[in-house]
Amino acid sequence: MVLLESEQFPTELTRLFQKRWLLSSAYVTLKKYDDQTKRIRKKGTVEGFEPSDNKCLLKATDGKKKINTVMSSKEVNKFQMVYSNLLTANMDGLKKREEKSKSKKSKAAQ
Amino acid sequence: MMLQYWTWEEFSLVAKKLYLADPMKACVVLKYRHSDGSLCIKVTDDLVCLMYRTDQVQDVKKTEKFHSQLMRLMVAKESLSVALELD
Repeated sequence: MVLLESEQFPTELTRLFQKRWLLSSAYVTLKKYDDQTKRIRKKGTVEGFEPSDNKCLLKATDGKKKINTVMSSKEVNKFQMVYSNLLTANMDGLKKREEKSKSKKSKAAQ
Repeated sequence: MMLQYWTWEEFSLVAKKLYLADPMKACVVLKYRHSDGSLCIKVTDDLVCLMYRTDQVQDVKKTEKFHSQLMRLMVAKESLSVALELD
């Protein structure tokens, strides 16, 4: 399991997708991140002190190699676009539904 | 308990509710198989698992948008309702 800086994550994720996608699955997991070490120290205080509730954990694996990163709100803002493009660009092996695209074109014409 | 949805609208609505019910527990998993040409998205809170499968390109964008929305919700300190209204 490799913990990366949020800046490196997109590059590594792309590499992961490209290397093995022909052979197997690619998994991306997203979960809200809670800084547990801080929770243990301050059992009594659930709210307040340093909640660390503004982070998320993003993981990716192809079954063999695992990478992950923790991101806060600032980092998410920066990489929102990068991630969206990355996911869309790499998951392009799916079928196109021609009927719907035709109806879209007719709507656009109107 | 596993629930599979056949329409994106239903799935995204229920999945978002599930996340908001317990943000710390909810987990989103995207599984992409290039060889099958399929995409599967699951949202679970360890009690219930909601699943949506697709092989359509148009769903990729919806999935990725949903993924980004949840990411933003997770890191938002406040105004969850604002993030929801972006839908």
